Amino acid sequence: MPEPILKLEEVSKTYRTKGSMFGGRAAGLVKALQCVSLEVLKGEIFGLVGESGSGKTTAGRLIVKLESPESGRVLLNGEVLSTLRGRRLKAYRRRVQMIFQDPYQSLNPQLSIYESVVEPITIHRLAAGRERMERVLSMIQTVGLSPPESFVNRYPHQLSGGQRQRVAIARAMVLEPDFVVADEPTSMLDASYSAKIFNIILEMRKRFGITILFITHSLAAARYLCDRIAVIYRGHLMEVGTAAEVIHHPLHPYTRALIDALPKFGLAEQIPRYNTLLEEERAGVEAVGCPFFMRCRKAHRTQCGREVPGLEPVGPGRFVACFFPGNGGGAGGKGS
Amino acid sequence: MNARTAGTGNRNSEAEDLLEVEDLSVGYRTKRGFMRAVDGISFSLKKGRSLGLVGESGCGKTTVGMTLMGLLPPNGEVRGGRILFKGEDLVQKTEEEMQRLRWNEIAMIFQAAMNALNPVQRVEKQIAEAILTHAPDLPEEEALRRVEGLFQMVNLPGERMHDYPHQYSGGMKQRAIIAMALACNPDLIIADEPTTALDVIVQHQILEEIKALQDDLGISLIFISHDISIVADVSHDIGVMYAGQLVEYGSREEVFGDPRHYYTRALLASYPTLAGEKRDLVPIPGETPSLVAPPSGCRFCDRCDAAAEACSLERPDWLEISPTHRVLCARCLSS
Ligand SMILES: Nc1ncnc2c1ncn2[C@@H]1O[C@H](COP(=O)(O)OP(=O)(O)OP(=O)(O)O)[C@@H](O)[C@H]1O
Ligand SMILES: Nc1ncnc2c1ncn2[C@@H]1O[C@H](COP(=O)(O)OP(=O)(O)OP(=O)(O)O)[C@@H](O)[C@H]1O
Ligand code: SF4
Ligand SMILES: [Mg+2]
Ligand SMILES: [Mg+2]
Repeated sequence: MPEPILKLEEVSKTYRTKGSMFGGRAAGLVKALQCVSLEVLKGEIFGLVGESGSGKTTAGRLIVKLESPESGRVLLNGEVLSTLRGRRLKAYRRRVQMIFQDPYQSLNPQLSIYESVVEPITIHRLAAGRERMERVLSMIQTVGLSPPESFVNRYPHQLSGGQRQRVAIARAMVLEPDFVVADEPTSMLDASYSAKIFNIILEMRKRFGITILFITHSLAAARYLCDRIAVIYRGHLMEVGTAAEVIHHPLHPYTRALIDALPKFGLAEQIPRYNTLLEEERAGVEAVGCPFFMRCRKAHRTQCGREVPGLEPVGPGRFVACFFPGNGGGAGGKGS
Repeated sequence: MNARTAGTGNRNSEAEDLLEVEDLSVGYRTKRGFMRAVDGISFSLKKGRSLGLVGESGCGKTTVGMTLMGLLPPNGEVRGGRILFKGEDLVQKTEEEMQRLRWNEIAMIFQAAMNALNPVQRVEKQIAEAILTHAPDLPEEEALRRVEGLFQMVNLPGERMHDYPHQYSGGMKQRAIIAMALACNPDLIIADEPTTALDVIVQHQILEEIKALQDDLGISLIFISHDISIVADVSHDIGVMYAGQLVEYGSREEVFGDPRHYYTRALLASYPTLAGEKRDLVPIPGETPSLVAPPSGCRFCDRCDAAAEACSLERPDWLEISPTHRVLCARCLSS
């Protein structure tokens, strides 16, 4: 059993939004992550799946140390991130990379494509001269920008969306990191290019044992790439398990709702329907219990509305945060 | 203001063409020569209908959208063709005339969602301003109320209206941009990869809203996406692009149900699903040809299973499979 390389221990993160200063609105609090604990094993591809605004990017930014948790700890290889300083911090910045979600913001518009990809190598003094140039060109070619010569002198605004996304991937991968947070890395790429990128990731894992936290909203992509998946909803982990288990036998009502909402193209009848999502949010109740209570068809008013279900083991390596996982119990559930 | 009234919702039947693109060619001047990003494409769109444009990264989809908006960058240039919008050629219009059309009649949900928002202005204010620019007589409270309605429509929590864009997650920015495009009730919306950062539940809700708007107001839609499952969900017609050209065009049922071009078939085959056995994902082998010096014959030739010698030499012709389905390949019928 491979040991965990990354650990999140009860990590929480809250953002303050100021509201309107002049309109006299009170400051708002956004709880982006709430007491999240998880472990990523060495060499695995771990998927983080969830709705927009659920805290996925926040988790990624904590891991690459662009932000620090408000409470809880993040550990990589047993080292607590908040204690890293000086040389160890610099080494960390090389070993751990993030492919940012938005290629339009993550590339410096003043730098040509060549400069963007060569910059990290130069900063970390990994290669120089001819070797450095060859490494950059071959990385650019690898992500399918071909021939590299016709791209290297361009600036980001002279590329299409998917081409930029591939430059961002090249920039992160050129350092041959140990750990990569890939935040929706192929969201702008068609199936063929995505497959190419996935194959590169799989190849890098085989060659260098790279570990990946793969943030995606696509369950189909997660199915192909990930060993394990965690489903996150409003800052809470809802379900953790192997990709195959979570996708083919989802236990949490929210995971089931995600599968129901997939466009039916090419799936037809093969995918079961669970009907766990309420069309309209529950009215007239304050959600103090389960985060999914307001939209959960299976919810039991007294229990789910008042208590927060913990992430409990329901089988080997399988965790669910729900009082009525699977087909069991619940007000609107089918019963088992 | 917008002269369109409600009650024009009855789709198709006697609907007229809102947009007709004829033999449009657009490119970019670069150090290595003129890059023919869009090369002779033609399509049309009726009122209240939607056209899905699919094709691989870099094939020219955004360029088509930006050309329709009159927002090409300084090195971009229309080299030929016409864009008839309500019977008038947009290519011939001055910037001033285009400004009057833009947002009011033609709106675009930009692929670069983040760049389209002003970073130093609260989101609510930006959308309200967009509304007020085009309807200066509207009372401000009315505009703000409309913003609230738009937030609801795109599923953004109302209490986040006063935030700055950087306080939004990726998908929240994308939804704000969708709200912005809907703000002025345009006749044509160009949606360029509008849901790349959205989970399936929110995506489904927004697509349903857009479809309802189409029915109620007769809005036409050009839906650009690499995700064929979403395109199949919202589009009446499909245009498949490859290396700057349209290679297959027709009704959704025909193009996705009976694909004839090898590229369309390859695209459909490489689509990952949850159904069936998990198989290896196989990218389409080979590379896209150069757009500065494109090959004289078929552009997909190097990557096509069925390619014959003639394919690389002669420019393929359009073949009509049915009155509502055509394909740019002379070999498609033999298989
Ligand atoms: N700098 C910030 N200031 C205020 N709120 C923030 C900030 N960054 C993120 N948030 C909020 O935290 C929550 C979680 O955001 P996050 O970016 O982690 O979501 P996400 O899961 O990545 O969503 P998406 O799939 O849409 O990208 C959101 O409500 C977001 O608006
Ligand atoms: N300003 C520019 N100068 C030079 N070339 C450009 C410029 N903008 C785009 N291109 C090139 O034109 C081609 C078409 O770009 P476009 O943005 O239309 O592609 P796309 O189909 O939208 O791709 P994607 O799905 O990746 O967004 C690409 O090869 C791109 O590199
Ligand atoms: S705990 Fe209750 S409300 Fe929450 S997901 Fe389970 S059944 Fe639904
Ligand atoms: Mg995000
Ligand atoms: Mg594009």
